[in-house]
Amino acid sequence: MRVLPSIQAVGDSFFRKPITATSEHFVGLQNYVTLFTDPRFIGVLGVTGLFLVIIIPVQVVAAVGLGLLLNEAFPGASGARVFVYLPVAAPGAVAAIIWGIAFQQQGPFNAVLGALHLPQQPFLSSPDQALLCIVVLMSWIGVGYWTLFVIAGLQDVPVQQYEAATLDGAGWWRTLFSVTLPNLRRPLVFVIVANTVANVLAFVPISILTRGGPAGSTRLIMYDIYDRTFTLGNPNLGLAEVVVLLIFLIAVTSLQFRLLGREDS
Amino acid sequence: MSRLSNAIGTTRPRRVAVAIAGWIVAVAFMLPLAWMLFGSFRTETDLFTSQYPLTPWILLPRTFTLSNYTDLLGGGFSLSVWNSIFVTAITVVVGVVVNAMAAFAFTLSRGRGATLLFGFVVLCFLIPFDALAVPLADLFKDWNLWNSYAGLILPGIANGFVIFALRQFFLGIPGELSEAARIDGLSSWGIFWRIYLPLSKPALIAAGFTLFLFQWGAYLWPLLIGTAPDKMLGPIALATLSSQTQVHWGEIFAGAVLLTIVPMVLLLFFQRHFTGSLSTSGSKG
Repeated sequence: MRVLPSIQAVGDSFFRKPITATSEHFVGLQNYVTLFTDPRFIGVLGVTGLFLVIIIPVQVVAAVGLGLLLNEAFPGASGARVFVYLPVAAPGAVAAIIWGIAFQQQGPFNAVLGALHLPQQPFLSSPDQALLCIVVLMSWIGVGYWTLFVIAGLQDVPVQQYEAATLDGAGWWRTLFSVTLPNLRRPLVFVIVANTVANVLAFVPISILTRGGPAGSTRLIMYDIYDRTFTLGNPNLGLAEVVVLLIFLIAVTSLQFRLLGREDS
Repeated sequence: MSRLSNAIGTTRPRRVAVAIAGWIVAVAFMLPLAWMLFGSFRTETDLFTSQYPLTPWILLPRTFTLSNYTDLLGGGFSLSVWNSIFVTAITVVVGVVVNAMAAFAFTLSRGRGATLLFGFVVLCFLIPFDALAVPLADLFKDWNLWNSYAGLILPGIANGFVIFALRQFFLGIPGELSEAARIDGLSSWGIFWRIYLPLSKPALIAAGFTLFLFQWGAYLWPLLIGTAPDKMLGPIALATLSSQTQVHWGEIFAGAVLLTIVPMVLLLFFQRHFTGSLSTSGSKG
């Protein structure tokens, strides 16, 4: 079965965790204790949490906003829709490199700021801005994709409900909150969960552009796993970290089933 | 026609505003791609002098040259593009057949065991591949698959999402068809090959495209499985190019265009199938 490698990998990450790299002997939960008392790992959890807390609302709100806008009928609407989701096709490495050049000290963003007589920004080389730059670049890749789900959801809303709302004299905002969003619940739950899963795995821009820096401000968990396992040569701690990540992913996914299951019954 | 209360463009000025906003957003999303495309045809000096400080030539080239492409493809980069094409092509062809066979098996066998197994397959694939890439890379090392095409291709083939989507599609094909075919003496294999596959072209195209995007854009796995120069894939080669001490922007832009143009053309071509399969999978959770 093709599932085998992934099962084996799960098993592997569970069973290898108590093994030290040189001599294989049982150390119990030692790795987890080491991990959770390591200030660097706590920092990684903090940065990853902060990243998710920023990027998920940004992308979900942007997807809903774009979905509402692009669902309107205007000349060339279908073309505009294609433009918005076209970046989805660009490989992650391409997106990271293009935006990395754009964020450079002498790059186009600073050129525009300079022309507007605004102060130059350090972008990726500043611990305060690097994570936000990653959010912008990841949103450019991802938002068009999530917008597709919103548009599909919008087209499934029964027209009668809108007609009824119009007859009741409901305005646009009222209709949005009373008819549109409740009807979008299902696709939105999906988008939020899939979005969380996709973003917690963010790796490419970190690996190519910042390598976790400056000052650890972009050290997201996937990059830390990679770095710990291969660069720092600490595979047992890396695998313990994988297990922490898996527990998070399983929790998020089962939450989705909870939310959608309840609605079905 | 009177507008419903969910529409923004209710009056003429509002409709104009909606159209303008829609196009501004669309152009904003396209801008980085356009900048990359134009940049790939510019000389190094043109690139540097027109980017900063701001000039009217920031986007549009003053010069036109193909030398970025010829220099790039004369170097080691072309091998990595060929590797990417080879690895992706095998993944798509083998992957569509393998996933379709799995989906077909799950469609036909409705026993309790099969349902359980199917649930199990879907559950396993709910855990995203990248989360398991590091431990899986360790396994592949033990199996001597590092720096091999097999090592690069194998994880991209079976895809739970694709199996699930194909099964949904197969379930929509009337069972009477296969029953009739069976009475006429067709084997399960024959039913799959002669009835299900020809009827499922749009779903198979969407499946192939999903596999394509996944494999073509993959970065973490090819980085983990080994980066021997002769097995390097396009995205890794591009990242290597941009981390060199002497950076040639023009060549990087050209490499980025080469790696983007293929999926983009395919996306435009198969747009309907792709978005169709996405939207149904989204609304059905």
